[in-house]
Amino acid sequence: MIAIEVNQLQKTFQTKRKAAGLAASWRALFRPEYSTVEAVRGLSFHMEAGELLGFIGPNGAGKSTTIKMLTGILHPSAGEAKVLGLTPWRERQKLAFHIGTVFGQRPQLWYHLPAIDTFTLFGRIYELDDRETKKRIDFLAEAFEICDLLETPVRKLSLGQRMRCEVAASLLHRPKLILLDEPSIGLDVVAKQHIRDAIRRMNQEEGVGVLLTSHDAGDLEALCRRVIIVNHGQIVYEDKVSNLKRKHLTTKLVEVRYAEEVPQGFHLEGVDILKVGRYGVKLRFDTEHTPVDAVMAYLSSVGALVDITISDPPLEEVIAKIYKEAAPKDVGIL
Amino acid sequence: MKKYLAVINMQFINNIAYPGDFLGRSVSIAVFLFIFAGLWKTTFLVTGTDTLNGLTFANLLWYLMMAETIELGRPRINRVISEQVKNGEVAYILSKPYNFILYHFSFGLGDSLLRIIMNIIVGVLITWLLAGPPPSPLGWVMALTAMIGAWLLHFCMMALIGLAAFLVEETNSFELVYQKMVFVLGGMMLPLDLFPEWLQRITRMLPFPYMMYAPARLFVKPDLSLFGQMLAGQWIWVAVLVFAVALAYRGSEKVLTVNGG
Repeated sequence: MIAIEVNQLQKTFQTKRKAAGLAASWRALFRPEYSTVEAVRGLSFHMEAGELLGFIGPNGAGKSTTIKMLTGILHPSAGEAKVLGLTPWRERQKLAFHIGTVFGQRPQLWYHLPAIDTFTLFGRIYELDDRETKKRIDFLAEAFEICDLLETPVRKLSLGQRMRCEVAASLLHRPKLILLDEPSIGLDVVAKQHIRDAIRRMNQEEGVGVLLTSHDAGDLEALCRRVIIVNHGQIVYEDKVSNLKRKHLTTKLVEVRYAEEVPQGFHLEGVDILKVGRYGVKLRFDTEHTPVDAVMAYLSSVGALVDITISDPPLEEVIAKIYKEAAPKDVGIL
Repeated sequence: MKKYLAVINMQFINNIAYPGDFLGRSVSIAVFLFIFAGLWKTTFLVTGTDTLNGLTFANLLWYLMMAETIELGRPRINRVISEQVKNGEVAYILSKPYNFILYHFSFGLGDSLLRIIMNIIVGVLITWLLAGPPPSPLGWVMALTAMIGAWLLHFCMMALIGLAAFLVEETNSFELVYQKMVFVLGGMMLPLDLFPEWLQRITRMLPFPYMMYAPARLFVKPDLSLFGQMLAGQWIWVAVLVFAVALAYRGSEKVLTVNGG
């Protein structure tokens, strides 16, 4: 079942252009100049029900604009989209009952009151039964580990605690789909882990689809099965996260430690030796040019191996490489 | 329906959350009353009369108390909407299953209710001190009835100004102009009875008297025919402005650009 279907979505903004200085400000007052920003240019993709989809891209790529169109807040300049079978900008209120949103950089909990007040308010807004709301709050409080925090004024919570409450709040009405726009921004490692675990649990237990935008590759690796990368308002990559690394960057980093000193003349064709110590070597090679078994065979032949570490380049590197590419290409097989 | 009541309730509680700040704001009505008591006393002294166009010192001060209560209890939702557009919070408000305007109506009502109650309490105490006992119960009934229409008119104007934020983001200047028009043409500082006849005729064609003058005047000199006139005028303008708000809202949805992302 398809949760989101997007077809050639476009959004163009007119922003006022103003040069620096007083004279320019005066001119802008009487004869404003506008520049056209094509935030989203012909985006097409789909998302299955209950899927965990990553939607990433560099700043200004058009991610947030797309999400806002999918929640019906912005009207597109052209194109179509259907979220849970509804056209967002035309049936916004109807759709709102079935989706949840978290915009990481802006709070939705009422700042001066305890989180539980906002939860109760949401219960009313989403037309839930009072008893149902209470049970749901208890469940979410346990899942997100916020039981002790519910009665503290939101302004007194740390960012990590607040974000957990925010994501929990977005799930109060059992939406079929939640859109998280940078939920882990500004969080420390532990806080991020908490949020990711909670989101994953909700996806598994309740089948809530999650569309996630993030600048943290860790979020992607931990949560998403599939990822769409946008840049300059268009999709530049679309594939499973596992394939991202495998297909795009084929270099491996290997670190070995030997029982005895590394012999002189440690060398192998097609391998970059990064560092040679007394007992260890660090090297890098491209699996497309140098077969793995040849490298392994050489390494074991040199001496008695005591320790070996083989790692992929960090996902960030892969993503950065894709971001830098200007034109859309490499639409992978799903 | 329940959802809007919940919002009213929530904003009411939100206001109580900071009692110090809240009480502090109620002091402003006291300040205005003291200043104007002094002004009117001096005016009467200088002109050497007891009444001005049929209004005594007590009338004028009680008039002001009611007018100020309305002014200070005005739902400042244009600022709320403007802030929400500027910092992108409007994204949240729009992504919930309720009507944007009704949400702000409930928010504004929750905000105003407490303020109006506080202002009445403080206002009555101070004005009693300065000018003697309050007007008759009939005056109260008429004034409070007319206050409903007045509040609605203010709400519609504030909503229209607030919706302009979808386009221009900063609406404080509009609010300022509006406020001054209500002050002068709505008869806040000076009851319209003290205006020259030609000006009175002009103002009666505008909605402003119904926002301020109507409840305040009915408060000090309850008059059945005036009551009927004022109420009719109020609700006609309410219908017009509500229609305008609905139209403006439809149009602004398309122009919205949300900051941030």
